[in-house]
Amino acid sequence: MLKSWKLKEIVLMSLFGVVFGIVYLVFLHIGNFWAGIIGPLAYEWMFGIWFIVSIICMYIIRKPGAALLPETLAATIEVMLGNAVGPRLILSGIIQGLGAEAAFAMTRYRHFHVGVLMLAGALAGVFSFVYGYFLSGYAALDPSFVALMFTLRVLSGAIIAGIGGKYIADGLLATGSLRGYAIARTEKNDAGV
Amino acid sequence: MRQILHNMNPSMKFLAVTVSMLVLAFFFNPWTPLLFFLSVIALQLLFSRINWKLWLLFMLPFFFGAFGYLWTTLVFGADTGGPILWSYGPIEITEQNWAHAWSLSLRVLAFSSLSLLFALTTDPVRFIQSLMQQWKLSPKLAYSLMVSYQFLPVLKAELEQIQQAHRLRGAEIDKHWWNRLLAMRRLFIPLLAGAVRKAERAAFAMEARGFTGEPRTAFYEQLTITRMDYVLTALFGIVLALCCSIEFLDF
Repeated sequence: MLKSWKLKEIVLMSLFGVVFGIVYLVFLHIGNFWAGIIGPLAYEWMFGIWFIVSIICMYIIRKPGAALLPETLAATIEVMLGNAVGPRLILSGIIQGLGAEAAFAMTRYRHFHVGVLMLAGALAGVFSFVYGYFLSGYAALDPSFVALMFTLRVLSGAIIAGIGGKYIADGLLATGSLRGYAIARTEKNDAGV
Repeated sequence: MRQILHNMNPSMKFLAVTVSMLVLAFFFNPWTPLLFFLSVIALQLLFSRINWKLWLLFMLPFFFGAFGYLWTTLVFGADTGGPILWSYGPIEITEQNWAHAWSLSLRVLAFSSLSLLFALTTDPVRFIQSLMQQWKLSPKLAYSLMVSYQFLPVLKAELEQIQQAHRLRGAEIDKHWWNRLLAMRRLFIPLLAGAVRKAERAAFAMEARGFTGEPRTAFYEQLTITRMDYVLTALFGIVLALCCSIEFLDF
């Protein structure tokens, strides 16, 4: 998978993985306290935050794996910095990354307009929900409550990760530091699509 | 004796911990996760020298999380029958519901204690080294990850610098938290832009020093799987099997 990658792209991706690993960890702790008050529903509306690095990296690097790998790395960093969800987080990272990756694979890594990015966020939500359904035992919850959790998570993925990710990457592009990455080269072709 | 969890091969430890979690996810009685939670603490008491104050600090949010699970499962849990224990208004708590709620919240504790066991006894750099040596993680990825990990303190210093620069130029600190949240972009974009430039520089430096990313056979620190690693993994397996077998006991 990494054969076609330049080293600078790999380092960029790892660095984003590290930075967002920390961001994720901060929100994980916020979510935990929040969840103590209102239960598992607390995570759902903000779940998109945990998919964002997939969308940002893929939008910048535009190569197969650019959604799956950084998400996995971010999860790994979360584990290495020490949090109490632990190695299981790496598995959820892989699954969320696969969800986002699926959306880009479906469009054959050719289109990166906002619709595809939102689809990627939503699919990350779907994948992570299916995984969470088994691992956290949502089966024991009322079906209508589970449906509400699912809707909130997918919407959050599409809006926070999809639109938010594009917003951050576009802001970064405007600083000029992304010259030399795919996003700067293909920006003209993709504009307005 | 109290070093062996720290010295265990990180890949093996990771495997043992992950498998335990996946297996635990299939059990819906309250006793399995409770027993496992207690055994993990016992294992740590016997075989590691972790900072228990730190442990408590990390566990604290998860006690909250477990509590959240407990009461939401009680209130929103699917009706699964069994005799009704007690009811309050429209809420009826059945025996099965009660058991499920305890099982889910104790599972949070079991999972988090297990993860902490891994996090508190494992050195991140050794973990990456071990992934590269035992599980054939691509060296390109492994070394990039180590480089990025070393950047953490640098990025922290940079964030402070950006904040100070903003203040110097008279950017006011917003009074309300939602304004501060929106202003995150003002801090985050320059931080990321700096990170991108650093990544590029690091990549050039690595290539300039002859790093090709080819798989290698010699390492600065050789990590192997010893007999102790198998013993410890077996120990994890036995504890897990014992905790799970309680499901099939009648009492």
